[in-house]
This record gives sequence, structure tokens and C-alpha cells, in this order.
Amino acid sequence: MTEIFYTKDHEWIKVNGIEGVVGITPYASEQLGDIVFVELPQKGISFEQGKDVAVIESVKAASEIYSPASGEIIETNALLEENPEIINDDPLNAGWLYKIKIMNKEDLKNLMNEEDYNKLIGV
Amino acid sequence: MSELLNENFHVEKTPLFDFHNQMNAKLVSFGGYYLPINYTPGIIAEHNHTRSSASIFDVSHMGQIEINGPFVMEAMEKILPISFSKILPGKIKYTQFLNNEGKIIDDLMIHRTHNENSVWLVVNAACKEKDINHLRENLNKNFDINIRDDLSLIALQGPKSELALLKLVPGIVGIEFMSSCWVSYKNYEILISRCGYTGEDGFEISVPNKHVISFTQKLLENSDVKLAGLGARDSLRLEAGLCLYGHDIDLKSSPIEAGLKWSICKDRINSADFIGGDFIKDEFRKGPSRVLIGLLPKGRAPAREGTLIYDSNDNLIGEVTSGGFSPTLSIPISMGYIKSSAIDQKEVYLDVRGKKIPSDKVNLPFVPHNYFKKVN
Repeated sequence: MTEIFYTKDHEWIKVNGIEGVVGITPYASEQLGDIVFVELPQKGISFEQGKDVAVIESVKAASEIYSPASGEIIETNALLEENPEIINDDPLNAGWLYKIKIMNKEDLKNLMNEEDYNKLIGV
Repeated sequence: MSELLNENFHVEKTPLFDFHNQMNAKLVSFGGYYLPINYTPGIIAEHNHTRSSASIFDVSHMGQIEINGPFVMEAMEKILPISFSKILPGKIKYTQFLNNEGKIIDDLMIHRTHNENSVWLVVNAACKEKDINHLRENLNKNFDINIRDDLSLIALQGPKSELALLKLVPGIVGIEFMSSCWVSYKNYEILISRCGYTGEDGFEISVPNKHVISFTQKLLENSDVKLAGLGARDSLRLEAGLCLYGHDIDLKSSPIEAGLKWSICKDRINSADFIGGDFIKDEFRKGPSRVLIGLLPKGRAPAREGTLIYDSNDNLIGEVTSGGFSPTLSIPISMGYIKSSAIDQKEVYLDVRGKKIPSDKVNLPFVPHNYFKKVN
């Protein structure tokens, strides 16, 4: 059973057991505009919740991605290297950024559910 | 995800503000004005449309200034490094206001009009006040400095601009690049200037505020013409290697360093009889200590403003002043200053988030200019 959580900084994390897939929300993708480059973390490295873990560059500017939960990077989306615009096309699925092994599921209590996130962005 | 914060000071609206909102523009504050960063298609689509067809940009934030009075051209030559004797009536010249140290207060377009007692300037929005003060300080009180905020300014840029404009004002057929003329449209007068900031053929059109929305809508009836925002304007000008004030040029840079020597009249360098003239003459003779160059970082990561530039021995040799992604070339491009002593280095290194990215030095522009040339 997969659950999705959101951060106030417009990342999402889909959680299945102790594995999480991380991406940015459609709202974020739209705000950023055309994405031209993504710098992803290396496999095997661990990040704490809220720490900057990746960089997304749009035509306009560079934006940092903060890890929604603490954990170890187990996979990154290799397709984004050559085709970063996939994030704009499908931010919730094909445009995922990386997968982590979640260290502490308590972290998820600091995140929002879909309803609260939608309130935040005024939908 | 971090978000950009808007500046908190008072922000003005251009006469096209409501129209931008209607057209789903994403508005940002720039130079003290709310302006579209992009419309629904997005920066890359708007950029590519400009290169292949024609786009309208609202540039009403820029200052349009008319200076009137007897011998105004002589008076302006004491301020600017240009010679009106080499500029025909109706022609436009790119130039810079310099301070006493030869550094750039602002860059601008100056029009020699058909009236010998009048010149027309177009200056940067954020520099308007500074420019007016500079003019007041250096011009005799008898000159009338008239800020034409009764006029909006739209830029129509791209290879299909002339065809689109001719449908509205057939009288301007064959007008030369870097020249301007007033023409009648319906029951009002507009100033058409064949110039721009994209590297393409195009026009900047001064339209009375109350008519600018209808004029813009009329141009948009042509399916070749679309709206474009500041985002595309920035990527277009960067590809064209054109300096942006406050970034590539400012009060710390001289026109010689910035590769703008071509805009200074040779005779005036020798006579040095304009504001900052002694410094420019000296720098022209000795050569500048740093120069503005083009950079092609390897890989896909854009190297933006503020990125430090190193040589192969890890010595700091300069800094990027503008950088981003080139939609035309599909690679990152940057502009920046390096020490003149490092000019012979074939490859330099850009520090992007702690990684030293090898970069080729290239001549500007990145994308060749496509300005209109009259065929006789």
C-alpha cells in the first residue's frame, strides 16, 4: 500500500514499506517552468530530513530540493540526466528524482497529506 | 524547494498590466515594475517562437526621455562618447552614460531626430532616476528634459516582425536597422524604432498608453505573432551576447572591458572630451585589466551569475556575470569577466556548487545576429 506525503517546500514522497520515492509536485513544476538540468545525489549517501539533497535548474534559476525524510539514497532517475524536461511533463510519476530507504518513519509525521497540501497551494 | 522572494518595495504597473493578467502571464517585479516572466507557453517556447517568427514584449518599464533645446546635440556630446556628425537624422546609436572614472552609469539608445533641437533616449528602468540626475547635473538648465511616461513601449522581435508590422503601418517598408520614425496609426502617432535586444530583426514601438492594449491586440491578430516575457528576453539577449545592466555592466565596469569599444566614436577617444574621457583614452591605450568573454561549460549544468572562474592551476581569474541555458543551442552558456592576463588560456574552470566544470572560451555572440540589412 503506497501512501503519498508532501512537504511545505513542494516535494512529495511516495512511501511503500521503508522505501520512499521522491519528486516535486505539479505546482512546483509549473512554478519553476522549463527544467533544463537536474543534479541528483549519489547512491549510497544518506541525508537527513530537510537537508538539501538535489538541485533542479529551470531556465530561470536553480532551486534546491530538500529531502522529505532521512534515509539512504538507493536509486536515482537516470532518465533525467539527458531529459530533465520529463519532470515538467509528468512530475508525479515518470519525473521522480530518487528513491530512499527511510531511516525513521516518524519523519513522515512532519509532512502533509494531500488535503493539507492542496490547502497550502490554494486548490 | 526554495522559492524566489519578490522585492518588497513599491512596484509599478505598466499600462499593459491588466492585459497581461488576462493573458495568463506569470508576473514578477523587475526594475520596479510588474512584468510577465512568461505566459502559458513558457520561456523556451516563447524564446524559440521569437527566433523563428515574431514575439511581442512589454518593455514599458524602460525610460523614454526627450531632451529639447537649442544645440542639444552639442550638449549631449559633452556627456556621451558619440559624434552626431556621424549619425544621420533618424538614426539610432547605442551608447553609455559614463561617470568621471569611465565606468558605466547606464547603457542606452539615443536617437538623432529630424529636429536638430531634440534628441530621444531610451534608458533602463532601474536606472531612470540616476540617469535623470546625471542629465540634470551635466546639462544646462535651459534644456527641457521630458520623461515621456505618456508612452508605453512594446518590442516586436523576430524574423517575421516586419511583415507583421507592415500590415498595420505600410509606410515603414524598408526602414533601416537602427533608425526610427514617427508614423500615424488610426488617429494617433507612434514612434517606430528598428532595433531590439534579441539579436533578431525587430522593432520597438512607442504607443500612447491609452492605445497600447488595442495596438498590441491588433498585432496579435496575426497568427505569426505571440506574446513573450522577460524570461525569453533574457535568454535571447544572452545568446546574442548583449550586456544586461546591473549584471554584465555596472558602475564597476567600463565599456572597454565589456567589449563595447565599437560603440565609442574613435575620434572622441583621442580628444577625450566627454565625461570619463580621460579614463577611456587611458584604458584604450593600455588595454583593460579584464575582459568580458563567452563561456561554454561542458555538460548540462548552467553556470549562473556569481559563478567563479579558475584557470588550470586553480587560480581565481574571474566571475560569471550572466549564465543560463540556451534554448537555441540546447546547452548552457555564460558570459563573464576574466583577467586579461588569462585571455590566452584555452580552457577555464567554472565552480558550480563545488565542482570545477571545464569550459571553452568563445567569442560573443553565441548565436549569430540576424539583423535587417537593406539590399540596394
